[in-house]
Amino acid sequence: MTNTLLCPTRGGEASYPNQDQAIQMAKERDAHLIFLYVSNVHFLDLIAAPKVFDIEAELDEMGEFLLVMAQERAAKAGVKADTIVRRGEFRETLKEVIDEYKVTTVVLGAAGKETGRLTQDYIDTLSQELCSETGAEFIVVHQGEIVKFCTP
Amino acid sequence: MQNKTQRLRFISLLVLVAFILTGSILITPGYAQQPTEGYFISGQLLDPQDQPINEAFVSAALPQDTEPMAETESQEDGTWVLVFANLPQEEINITFERPHFQTTTITVRESELIELSDAGIYRVGTLVLERKIDASFWIATLVFLAVLLVIALELLHSTTAALAGFSAVFLVSYVGGAFDPDLFIMSFETGLSYINWDVIFLVMGMMIIIAVIENTGIFQWLAFQAYRLSGGRGWLLVLILMAITAVASALLDNFTTMLLMTPISLQIALALSINPLAFIIPEVLASNVGGISTLVGTPTNILIGAYAGIGFNDFLVNQTVGVIIALVAMGAYVLFHYRKELRTSAGGISPKLYERLEANAEIEDTSALWKSIVVFVLVMVGFVLGEQIHLELAVTAITGAVILLIWLKPDVHGMIKAVDWTTLVFFMALFVVVGAIQEVGLLSIAADRMARLIGENLALGVFVIVFGVGTVSTVIANIPLAASMLPIVEFLSGSIPGASNKVLYYALSMGAAMGGNGTLIGGEANLVTAGITEQADNPISFKSFARVGLPVTYITLSVGLIWLLIRF
Repeated sequence: MTNTLLCPTRGGEASYPNQDQAIQMAKERDAHLIFLYVSNVHFLDLIAAPKVFDIEAELDEMGEFLLVMAQERAAKAGVKADTIVRRGEFRETLKEVIDEYKVTTVVLGAAGKETGRLTQDYIDTLSQELCSETGAEFIVVHQGEIVKFCTP
Repeated sequence: MQNKTQRLRFISLLVLVAFILTGSILITPGYAQQPTEGYFISGQLLDPQDQPINEAFVSAALPQDTEPMAETESQEDGTWVLVFANLPQEEINITFERPHFQTTTITVRESELIELSDAGIYRVGTLVLERKIDASFWIATLVFLAVLLVIALELLHSTTAALAGFSAVFLVSYVGGAFDPDLFIMSFETGLSYINWDVIFLVMGMMIIIAVIENTGIFQWLAFQAYRLSGGRGWLLVLILMAITAVASALLDNFTTMLLMTPISLQIALALSINPLAFIIPEVLASNVGGISTLVGTPTNILIGAYAGIGFNDFLVNQTVGVIIALVAMGAYVLFHYRKELRTSAGGISPKLYERLEANAEIEDTSALWKSIVVFVLVMVGFVLGEQIHLELAVTAITGAVILLIWLKPDVHGMIKAVDWTTLVFFMALFVVVGAIQEVGLLSIAADRMARLIGENLALGVFVIVFGVGTVSTVIANIPLAASMLPIVEFLSGSIPGASNKVLYYALSMGAAMGGNGTLIGGEANLVTAGITEQADNPISFKSFARVGLPVTYITLSVGLIWLLIRF
């Protein structure tokens, strides 16, 4: 059975060390690497200003671009990677993708700069919960260093 | 069969037109029934700021009677006319009652009644009613402050906050007012009269036009061309991007411009290995300032233009040069502030990323783009020329939107959905909440205090408005702030010698928009930009924004002040 390694990422510079860690692991384990970008427009919920076009489509394009950059990093390390762009709540979307792609390992990193709900605590709790719910192995990394393992 | 149906439709249409014409003739003031017989006593009611008082209940009675002989209501211009069928035989008391004002009684003596007898009319003249600070004053003030606070702290959606204020005003008025008249703030009809429909329809028309233009991908294309033109030089690229966002914000609106420019700018910056915030923060700063130069560039300008009768040309002529100088000063500062981040060598984007950028920046529908540009130019020309025939901007905008809908035949449901009703409802509810504090006299008191502070010094007035509003706008949403400042500026424009040229309204426009650059919560465009950058792991913190935003705010406010003092 092929190992599938999933690396959810928001693609910015602060995510590079975590992406590199995922690329390295995929190489070592000879795993199929997938980068996932999840966009969410909830930040517009509290703003009263005209939203006259499909901002989600714009964010999808941005996500695809960010993942092409991640793909290039992987290619430089000799690893072929696929990309997925999804919309919605991070937790639910991550679970859906794990099930859909039969992911065996998830490399989850807290952002370099903690913002919004994606704090280190949130990532720790999330990885523990999803590990037992999905049966996938979760590896939590922070600034490129592995800080937590969670095996089902 | 089809001919018969068409004939029926035509006849129905004729009947409808005839009905409307008859109705409009009947309700024309000249055809309204006017009392022609009797004796008239008339006058005008003003508040302490010399503003007319409408809807005041005016009644006349003999001193010993409780039953009034005549009664009426004051009109929009504060005038009132009491009609007596018979000449009063002895002195009469005329009483003026209105919520939020002291009830006042004047006596028309027998000697004055002789004049009434001779001429058939007696003019009391102008009467100033004193304000009354009662429970409703404090409640309306608290409701307004609560709405501002809830919006500033993002506890609720701005529209929900404004609607909560709207319902609180009327609940207190009707439920509280039933127990204690001092709790009555204003009637529902009075509240609705504060809604400025010019603003609502102008914003609606512009939303449809913007939706068509921006869905063509023109801004993404422009941003990509900016990258090509700059050859990857960071300092040049940021200046071009600032210019694009400033111009786009002036012609469309800054919020939508930033929604479109942020993702593509972020991609270019990351591809060039430049900190994206070095591009995006200057862009949002430029978008907030660029919009000042036209009436449709910022929501606050739309409010100001509709309230003060300042036209599209007036904004263009009186603000544009000041805005360009402010943008140049801003550009110099951001180049200095981000000098390390922008120091990059030319090139640096891999072919694959370049290809991707180019694909993301493609014009999606060239034909739609050209058609929408033609209509947009016509709308702008309509704005400029329409003033000569007093054509309302809202009519021009709605007409432009209709032409686009007919010419491009887009999905009408989609286009109507493109109208952001939450924003329109926000405006409507906000007008009512601001109307409530105007009704209870808070704005009159504030205007009075400001007038005492400023005296007759116009330059000081401009300074106080530009820097006062600018500073408050750094933390308070500038739309409600500008809406509440309008009656104050109107009073000051009347009381300060030389201010009748509307310079204080321009000062309000500059202060409200430039102040929005001070902090992350100063403007809606700032918040939405931060929301998008966070999606790409490049969050804009309050501190990082203020570090560049605050200096830029005070630099541009200073430039704006100097420009207004020179121009006026």
